Amino acid sequence: MTATTAIEVTALAKQYGNITALQGANLSVPEGALYALLGPNGVGKSTLIRALVGALRPTSGSVRVLGLDPLRERGELRRQIGYMSQSAALYADLSARDNVAFFGGAHGEEGLESRVEEVLELTDLAGRADDRVHTFSGGMRSRVSLATALVHRPRVLLLDEPTAGVDPYLRARFWELFRQLTTEGVTILISTHLMDEAVLCDRVAILMAGTVIADEPPATLLERGRTRLSVREGNRTDELEIDGQPQALAAALRSYGLRESVEAVSVRPDSLEDVLLALIAGEQEAQR
Amino acid sequence: MRRTLLVTRRVLTQLLHDRRLLGLSLIVPLVIVYFLKLFLDTMPPGFDAARYAVPVAAFLVHFLAFLLSAMVLVQERTAGTLERMFINGYRRPEIIGGYLLGYLGLATLQAVGALTAVLLLFGLRYGAGTLATLFVVIWLLAIASVMLGIFISTFARHEGQVFPFVPLITVPSVFLSGLMVDPARLPAWADWLGRALPLRYANNVIQEMIRPGGALADTWLNVVALLGYIVVLLALASRTMREVE
Repeated sequence: MTATTAIEVTALAKQYGNITALQGANLSVPEGALYALLGPNGVGKSTLIRALVGALRPTSGSVRVLGLDPLRERGELRRQIGYMSQSAALYADLSARDNVAFFGGAHGEEGLESRVEEVLELTDLAGRADDRVHTFSGGMRSRVSLATALVHRPRVLLLDEPTAGVDPYLRARFWELFRQLTTEGVTILISTHLMDEAVLCDRVAILMAGTVIADEPPATLLERGRTRLSVREGNRTDELEIDGQPQALAAALRSYGLRESVEAVSVRPDSLEDVLLALIAGEQEAQR
Repeated sequence: MRRTLLVTRRVLTQLLHDRRLLGLSLIVPLVIVYFLKLFLDTMPPGFDAARYAVPVAAFLVHFLAFLLSAMVLVQERTAGTLERMFINGYRRPEIIGGYLLGYLGLATLQAVGALTAVLLLFGLRYGAGTLATLFVVIWLLAIASVMLGIFISTFARHEGQVFPFVPLITVPSVFLSGLMVDPARLPAWADWLGRALPLRYANNVIQEMIRPGGALADTWLNVVALLGYIVVLLALASRTMREVE
């Protein structure tokens, strides 16, 4: 583990009775990175995040967050991590302010009151801070949950599908905030199954059947995809399929020489979703 | 200690917000004591109603405190707030201690309410020392019941899993703690089983104190047993409450 690695997961496995949630997952997240953990439901994303926050004991393998073992050094680590689970995990009969202050109070942070106001402001909750959480919509509960994860100024944020059930406007606000936090040096690991969110990250780790099957920047992942070309020349239309490299596109068009007779060229590259589906299909094929 | 007090403050805030729960927790014992009065009034003249009335008040406090604390702790688990507390750095003894302190206020109100209702409805007259001892023992029983509820909740993953424990803990208390019959007349194994229930010790103190000429000096070991029960459950619950899956 290098000095700038915030999260290191090595050969992590977790078994729940007969069910294998994780099997030999590896992951290395550098400090200050915005990292997506991508994969369909039930592939072990939440299990991996819960292992990172020390909420479960791995069957085998090791986990380090900021160089600390989440189970053995939990006291020291918990001051430095912020966690947002899939469910809001809030007290519905308390106000937003009381929830944030209660969970934030555990860390004994100086100036907690002003920090609570700051995160409520940051998450657009200042106007409803005294309202009880049971009166909030799902999106607002997510905001309270995020404020709770941020209140003690963590160095690492572990967010389990933080934008599930959140409207597009609020999602955009969340991602703006995530990017701002990483520029301040905060490391963020976000689990998601939304491709348009994954492309906003520095790197994407794709989890499939409890294993990380790819770990690359979104642009590199996209290059793994195929590109379909349609070239119309007079009465003839050529349908071509090339790989996702820009050089392949140049090579494919070279034979046409951009003649006057080439009337139209349409290019349809694979989306990240296509790439993910192809990777999943490849993985399933390999397991057969 | 700071984190324990934070949990206490949060529990108290929630209790004060939930006026329906608070009101019902206080009114239900009074209503049941009234029904008990109606029932015992049908007994033949000379029947010693006090021998049953005061222990039943203690049982009601025991039952409600046990049920309430067990349910609330399980709700914490199902809502994910218990896990969030752990992840934010709250430790098991701090959470349990915080809950215990938070519920002390409610237990005090229940003990005062149930005891006052029994004394007024049954027209019982005791000296100040006896009254103070009766209050303290019901109050200690309420604390033991809160601890028992917390301990039992550590074995349940959801609210439904708490329910089997309710009759398992509270109904044997009625039969084996001396509330209905003298435990010495029970088979030896049932007598020993009764000793595992906190109501047994509370009932021993109550029966001694309401007996003409009864003295705390003759039953102080039962008070110690009740205190020991609380300490042992605190230690056990601190071990059995799952922090890591």
